[in-house]
Amino acid sequence: MIRLENVSKEYSPDSPALINANVDIEKGEFVFLVGQSGSGKSTFIRLLNREEKPTEGKVYVAGKDIVGLSSWKVPFLRRNIGCIFQDYRLLPKRTVSENVAFALEVIGRPRHVIEQQVPAILDLVGLSEKSHRMPDELSGGEQQRVSIARAFVNRPLILLADEPTGNLDPSTAVGIMRLLDRINRTGTTVVMATHDRGIVDTMRRRVIELADGKIIRDQKGGEYR
Amino acid sequence: MIGKIRFLLAETGQNIWRNLALTLASIIVVGASLSLFGSSRLVADAVDNATQRWEGGIEFVVFMKADAEPSQDEAIQTLLAESEGKEIDSWEYVDKAQTFEEFTEFFADDAELLATISVDTMPPSYRIRPTDTDAGAVAALGQTFESRPGVRTVVFASEVIREIQTNADKISRSTLWAGVALILAAVIMILTTLSIAIASRRNEIEIMKLVGASNWFIRIPFMIEGLVQGVIGALIALPGLAFVRTYLIEDFSKSDNLRLLEGFRVTDSEFLVISLTVIAIGTAVATIGSIFAVSRYLDV
Repeated sequence: MIRLENVSKEYSPDSPALINANVDIEKGEFVFLVGQSGSGKSTFIRLLNREEKPTEGKVYVAGKDIVGLSSWKVPFLRRNIGCIFQDYRLLPKRTVSENVAFALEVIGRPRHVIEQQVPAILDLVGLSEKSHRMPDELSGGEQQRVSIARAFVNRPLILLADEPTGNLDPSTAVGIMRLLDRINRTGTTVVMATHDRGIVDTMRRRVIELADGKIIRDQKGGEYR
Repeated sequence: MIGKIRFLLAETGQNIWRNLALTLASIIVVGASLSLFGSSRLVADAVDNATQRWEGGIEFVVFMKADAEPSQDEAIQTLLAESEGKEIDSWEYVDKAQTFEEFTEFFADDAELLATISVDTMPPSYRIRPTDTDAGAVAALGQTFESRPGVRTVVFASEVIREIQTNADKISRSTLWAGVALILAAVIMILTTLSIAIASRRNEIEIMKLVGASNWFIRIPFMIEGLVQGVIGALIALPGLAFVRTYLIEDFSKSDNLRLLEGFRVTDSEFLVISLTVIAIGTAVATIGSIFAVSRYLDV
């Protein structure tokens, strides 16, 4: 599903963000990216949805080289990749259901599809009762659930999560991880950057550890360390 | 498709609403610049119409009676031919058909008047360029034709017409440049308004990009917003132009002191052409401003 071949990324010559990374991620895998701040986790994620291009090497998503993808094709790549972030990135002036519907409206999905899929996904993330609330009326955990609903409503092949539990208390974080696990069980590949030792050690999934831009560990059923 | 269009229009409406003060300022600048530009064209057309028969150094026109005998016409032509190269530099004969054509063209919008005339009722005329353009010499030369048989009247280019002719070009050129400068200001204003709209919506734009909205889907609401500013600006310029036409140009032509400027008016077809030009420029200004704004400020 995802392959990085000799991928390096330099923002400036003296500070490489990623050095010669080689990774293969199968369809339906759940992968944790761990490492200290500045180790290259976010760059790894940004390379997968073509927010960044590597300085060297090739990145394949669903069998296609996305480095040479022309800019007008990038949106079509992103329709297959959902993204969630530590800061939720919800639109403050739209309700919960409008935030989720927005992701379908901007890719031109017909109204009847939107009216069918939005309540279904809100039900999946447990927010059916709060569909008309504004984001600032929700807790952090609920806002992250909305963000997950928005990322998953289009049923993407891959879900990228950059520190999704970073702003949440441990018990709320567990709820979010259960949700991501449930999504992963539908066959969606999940790549999640995290600092949360408890979560990594509990879930025992594949762990890719980065340090100073290098992959120093790639372990199935791994721990945080 | 309908859903897409509805979404794009809703997004455009939101953009305009959030940015209302600047959008209104843009519309006013576009309207003012196009009013000035259009007015300069109206005045230029009116001056052209009023002075058409006086172009190229023609100092006086000898109008024959509509029922003048051919022999009377020949006598005038013989006299002109004899004087050519002496008192008269050159002359042109405007026959009945040509006069009728000019008249019908000029009064195309006045069907009532046109219904009362025909080729036969039109007076033929001689447009004369004297060698000596001194006012006294021109008047003396013109008067020699007045008493000839078959001549209805001799009309002289007055000082006023000469002055208008000399200054008209200067006036219309300077107002045109002022209009063009303001049109450039309008482009910059639309550009700035859109750049602010883009900055204020950067969160939405970022999310749109992340969820896979196509580049055009992101750009179009901003481009429609620019277009709305240009087209509405052009439309509000039109009443301004109608005002200039009715209350300045036509009232001026009715002034008792300026009887010679009776032709100082703008025809309906000229007004239509200028109005359409103003709308086209408004649309072009908006399109240029929008394209520049989205390519410069919208990183998709």
